[in-house]
Amino acid sequence: MVREVSESCVESLLAEIVLSYCSGFYANKPELAARRIEAIGFQVGHQLSERYTMDRPRFTDNLEAIKFICKDFWSELFKKQIDNLKTNHRGTFVLQDNRFRWLAHMSIDPSVQASGNIQDPSAMAENKSAQATGMHLYFPCGIIRGALSNLGIECAVSADISNLPACSFVIRIKA
Amino acid sequence: MIVCLAVVGHENNPLYIQSFTESDDALKLHHIVHCSLDVIDERVNNPKKSSPTINEAFLGLLYPTENYKVYGYLTNTKVKFILVTTDLDIRDADVRNFFRKFHAAYVDAVSNPFHVPGKRITSRTFGERVSTIVKSFGLSSAS
Amino acid sequence: MAPAAPKSGDVIFASVDRVNAELFTLTYGAIVRQLITDLEEVEEVNKQLDQMGYNIGVRLVDEFLAKSSVSRCVDFRETADVIAKVGFKMFLGVTASVTNWDADGTTCSLILEDNPLVDFVELPDTCQGLHYCNILSGVVRGALEMVSMKTEVTWLRDMLRGDDVFELQVKLLKQVPEEYPYKDDE
Repeated sequence: MVREVSESCVESLLAEIVLSYCSGFYANKPELAARRIEAIGFQVGHQLSERYTMDRPRFTDNLEAIKFICKDFWSELFKKQIDNLKTNHRGTFVLQDNRFRWLAHMSIDPSVQASGNIQDPSAMAENKSAQATGMHLYFPCGIIRGALSNLGIECAVSADISNLPACSFVIRIKA
Repeated sequence: MIVCLAVVGHENNPLYIQSFTESDDALKLHHIVHCSLDVIDERVNNPKKSSPTINEAFLGLLYPTENYKVYGYLTNTKVKFILVTTDLDIRDADVRNFFRKFHAAYVDAVSNPFHVPGKRITSRTFGERVSTIVKSFGLSSAS
Repeated sequence: MAPAAPKSGDVIFASVDRVNAELFTLTYGAIVRQLITDLEEVEEVNKQLDQMGYNIGVRLVDEFLAKSSVSRCVDFRETADVIAKVGFKMFLGVTASVTNWDADGTTCSLILEDNPLVDFVELPDTCQGLHYCNILSGVVRGALEMVSMKTEVTWLRDMLRGDDVFELQVKLLKQVPEEYPYKDDE
């Protein structure tokens, strides 16, 4: 039997990660806070991909691994699959979840994006709530990067929420 | 009897190596483990196209020596498991079964938040679980 | 209108949205590890986990009261029981038991034999002072404060340190009477 906890437990932890790192230790250093939150996600993704690939044959190529993230991996976390997968066939993949659960309970400023490197941290700092929303995306970005890294795929992952409630994760595989 | 087990990371870094024999052939066993890494690389890079189990984790018998049989297993995360046994008339099903249990123990060990990926597994729980699995090896031949 | 009868922890747990516990367990573990890296001192990590738990307890108490149909408990003894049987169950899927009451009924222990936070966890020797589950003591303290009970919560036993169970001592320091100056229908 699969062990379960209430979804509130996970949501509470995610909220506290952002609160601790953004309002606490790194209140004036959003780029440092972002890196720490991403690192937490990375560890989780790394461990989860170890667990969730246990009974599977080895992947033969990157696309197969990405499809695994879209289907089985996403289903384990969110009880649904990624809704849309696009690729430019040159190492960039866009995974769209039409209703990303971890943002479902938040009020969100759609002008925010999170990426591996924040373009203009000072602009983000001006809007605390927008910054907080962006900060919530570093954790799932880290999870995806960690999962793929453990499968031997080094990449950068960013998130785009310009189309809420959809959320797109952009994976750029390092050549 | 299982005489040696090894877990080797994707950069051929040793994560765990344990002998289960009284005699002091540790050096010899390490040598066997080392050689088997090349066999695994060879096998994975040049798979037999006809094989239906082309990407299966279980790699089967890597090579027999005079006194031992060496089996391999490769996870999706490119971690190699190597088993050295003195049982010469051993069934594949038993070895598969062993690796499945060993894999589960390994996955739990690296799920410890304090485990650092790529570093040696020092977990006491893992050690105990492995020795239980090793002891039960071949006993549950029902499958 | 008569208040709805309180629901059992099992019933509520079956009705809430649930997720795979591995995600929760591993996320918490990664937080603890990252805090150790960033704060360096184990004592600081304990404090931070307690603070995070406190914030969570303050926020979760409304969800708890709403979903459990528990009317606000006035009695500390009754409250401890509800936390153990309903609160732990509806969030973590495990039940705690309440024991070791002192004579005047202001101190008791919550006992957990199973705890999803520590699946896979083995403390390294360098972290022996760490109260790995300190977030839980914070949650209990925060939630109780929201129902006007000021408490001190201390770990007495910890399975990660070789004890047979987790034992969380809850000591009531002060109970602030709730003020209801007017009833709604008056």
